[in-house]
Amino acid sequence: MSGNAITRRGFLAGTAGVIGAAGLAGYMSFDAWERAYADDSDTHGTVSTVHSTCNGCSNKCGFTAYVVDGKLRKLIGDERHPMAKGKLCARGYAYAEIAYSKDRLTDPLKKNDKGQFEAISWEQALSEIGAKVQQIVSSDGPGALAMVQDPRPSGSYYAKRFMSALGSPNVYTHGAACYESRESGIKQVIGANSWTSDVANAQMTIFIGRSYADGLRPSALMAMEKAHEAGSHIVLVDPRFTNSQKFADEWVPITPGTDLALVLALCQVVTTEDLYDADYVAANSVGFDEFRESIAQYTPRWAAEKTGIDETTIKRLAHQMAQAAPACSIESGWRGPSGCQYKNSGELARAVACFNALLGVYNQKGGALLYPSVSAGKLDEGKFPSPPKPQAAQVGSDEFPLAVDGSALAAVKAASEGSVKGFFFYNSNMVGGYSNPSYLAQVVSGCDLSVCVDVQMSETAAACQYVLPDTSYLERSELPAFAGGAVPSVSMRTQVIDVVHPNTKPVDEIFTELAQACGVGQYFDFTMDELAAAQLASVGVDVDAARQMGTVYFNDKAFSYGSTPNWKTPTGKIQFASDACKKAGYEAVPSWIEPDVMPMGNELRLIEAKQPIHSHTMTANNETLMGITKKYDLTRAWINRSFAENLGIADGDTIEVSNEKYTGKIGVHVTDRIVPGALYLPSAYGVTVEDQHTAYGVGLRPADFLAFKLEPGYGSAMAHEVCVTVKKVNA
Amino acid sequence: MARYGMLINTKKCVGCYTCVAACQRQNNLLPSEQFIRFEERETGTYPTLSVETIPLQCMHCEDAPCAAVCPTGAAHIGTDGIVQVDQGRCIGCKYCMAACPYQVRVVNEETGTVDKCRFCTVSANDGTAMCSCVEACPTGARIFGDLDDPDSEISKAIAELNAQPIAGDLTKSKVFYVR
Repeated sequence: MSGNAITRRGFLAGTAGVIGAAGLAGYMSFDAWERAYADDSDTHGTVSTVHSTCNGCSNKCGFTAYVVDGKLRKLIGDERHPMAKGKLCARGYAYAEIAYSKDRLTDPLKKNDKGQFEAISWEQALSEIGAKVQQIVSSDGPGALAMVQDPRPSGSYYAKRFMSALGSPNVYTHGAACYESRESGIKQVIGANSWTSDVANAQMTIFIGRSYADGLRPSALMAMEKAHEAGSHIVLVDPRFTNSQKFADEWVPITPGTDLALVLALCQVVTTEDLYDADYVAANSVGFDEFRESIAQYTPRWAAEKTGIDETTIKRLAHQMAQAAPACSIESGWRGPSGCQYKNSGELARAVACFNALLGVYNQKGGALLYPSVSAGKLDEGKFPSPPKPQAAQVGSDEFPLAVDGSALAAVKAASEGSVKGFFFYNSNMVGGYSNPSYLAQVVSGCDLSVCVDVQMSETAAACQYVLPDTSYLERSELPAFAGGAVPSVSMRTQVIDVVHPNTKPVDEIFTELAQACGVGQYFDFTMDELAAAQLASVGVDVDAARQMGTVYFNDKAFSYGSTPNWKTPTGKIQFASDACKKAGYEAVPSWIEPDVMPMGNELRLIEAKQPIHSHTMTANNETLMGITKKYDLTRAWINRSFAENLGIADGDTIEVSNEKYTGKIGVHVTDRIVPGALYLPSAYGVTVEDQHTAYGVGLRPADFLAFKLEPGYGSAMAHEVCVTVKKVNA
Repeated sequence: MARYGMLINTKKCVGCYTCVAACQRQNNLLPSEQFIRFEERETGTYPTLSVETIPLQCMHCEDAPCAAVCPTGAAHIGTDGIVQVDQGRCIGCKYCMAACPYQVRVVNEETGTVDKCRFCTVSANDGTAMCSCVEACPTGARIFGDLDDPDSEISKAIAELNAQPIAGDLTKSKVFYVR
């Protein structure tokens, strides 16, 4: 049993203390676990419970783990956790298998001259990586090192601190293949990276390319259901009829890549018909005159041509929204059309933020809410000394100045040009899908140094020289995860089970030891537990209490309706016009930009999106989730029925999908649930790593069809700027 | 004695498979053992259409074809009307699988025996606060309870929503659907 476990009796009594450090937990071999699992009897055993957080996607939902004799049995979503609200999704239940997966990385690996991995000791791995880092730093400076990490509580802190200690500002997230353009565009307008639509209390909400039931976050799906039952008008603008349609009133199918045209036209209607909140705009914004002048050209008729949505519908949606204001909003989106998918993603995000501003919905009940957040305060510099701020500018910041988090793909570009020489990855499968995988693999493997820290052999790990085995999320405690919200909170990932493979290490230890090996260990002279305690103490929370409760709320920082946000833009106002955008080569006010490619003749635009059972390739190797995939043939491509009939393609046929980058075969789902000009592929499949025995070779990977090219100014992947042709196999 | 049943509101089902994975995890099933089976019906034509997602599982029939054909008595109606499989008596002949009109019985690949939804609230060895699928469903599409208790949540919901067995009175099913 983990040292952090609480016995059932203690849990019920509420008196058990949280004892022991993660490092003291014992080991249990995989074989021993497997035997014990097979012989398991539910009728005996010590039951203990631990609050922790899921790693099945970036929501990190809180759950209570029931551990019987050291083995994880049941998981129950935590009522107190703001994302979970008492529920987990299929990934949450199934992904827990990762701890005992046969495909776990168990030892540090180094690639030999033949390109095969060999197990090496931690000492060898650390000393060789340390020497190479120091070599790169002395020859090219620390700016030649880059780090990509998909944010997790400990990972984002340690990865960033490690790079700062080395003097490199080049720390990136997966944003360029997810949210980068959306957050960057929104920030230009309102000074915050996002908002939360108050769906549950809205009279009307328009979603553009986001599906709460597919990119599933339990609390968001529940809010949508509540709104639907209360009679709120919910509109889904999407090239696909998604699973969220169950709680929506309208599907507005749209030609993919043209969402910007729709939103510009919505702005046009409310502006030219004087339906906007003139007082709000006057009091809160700059650049409105320029915006109004420019927006006049984007008539509903013009947008109808672009989007395939008829003019009457566009006008009606604008009128309905104006009538519902301020209890309405266009939802912020996620990875969708404003996130990273098109050449006009960033501009779409800006246009959406401007539309919400026109209706004055920010912080209004039912509108778009800028929730407060809490973060750790200043810590004792003696114990936790801050590394000096890196001197160099972040790689990519000159070409992609609008990117709020920078662009990992800009660092790839720099590596291809020779200015980035060392790449680190944590919990990130960049190679497996941020852009074209074979191109990314070639660039990463061509670097002087490449290191991947993960739990399984991803495409990224396979491209690296060194692979360091992390413990799974169930086998380690992590730093506090602060989250903004109606009431800001902090949640704890706490060790649930003992370490399964004795030669794996938790992320905090890996980066601490890497720092020591690179000669910057002085910035890591503390344990994760000490840091967690200090971070929480800085906001008045006791770490033991936090671990025991799972989630702690900061009630004194709670959101209240009706306040005017503090607009954190350069002008301190909502910016209908942005100097930064103009400098980056855009019009100062959001303006129409054609998608980079448009399907011609029999071509289809390749679009991809999440299914509720997978988080891209990260969960594809999970046996339970892949079991669902296979039972329901969920790898199939979707194409529109009338389009398919013209090509003589029937539901269930195998088709060949092809373009200049890639050709592959896949089963097809012929359906009315997709617009005629698009082909949909789910984003989770097509894993090319043989070591992932469950996922390998199943389905197609959309990114294989994609060319490596980046959205101007924002640096995102433009994941949907790709066309393919299809034909029936053996026709 | 209670007479247990379930209500599934397909109008709330978004087809997220959470119930499937929760059932597997909480009941310690193999990855290949899925006690819940989905059917999806798409009606209408682009762009005016609707999609119905229907989760099917053991209906705990009062007139249970599986129990009628089982040569060893492994498949039987147990206490509180819960259809059960005595794993020790199952010889893996699969008659029950052929007989089940709902096709919701599955083979355990390790033991070769047949298994299916157990209404785990009451019949699982360690019991749970609620059936795993009911507890897990993020949209609250499922209700479990005593059909003989007129004041139970399920009895009231069946009456209010006019929930019906999926195949009429074919087998006197105790799983009721809102469609």
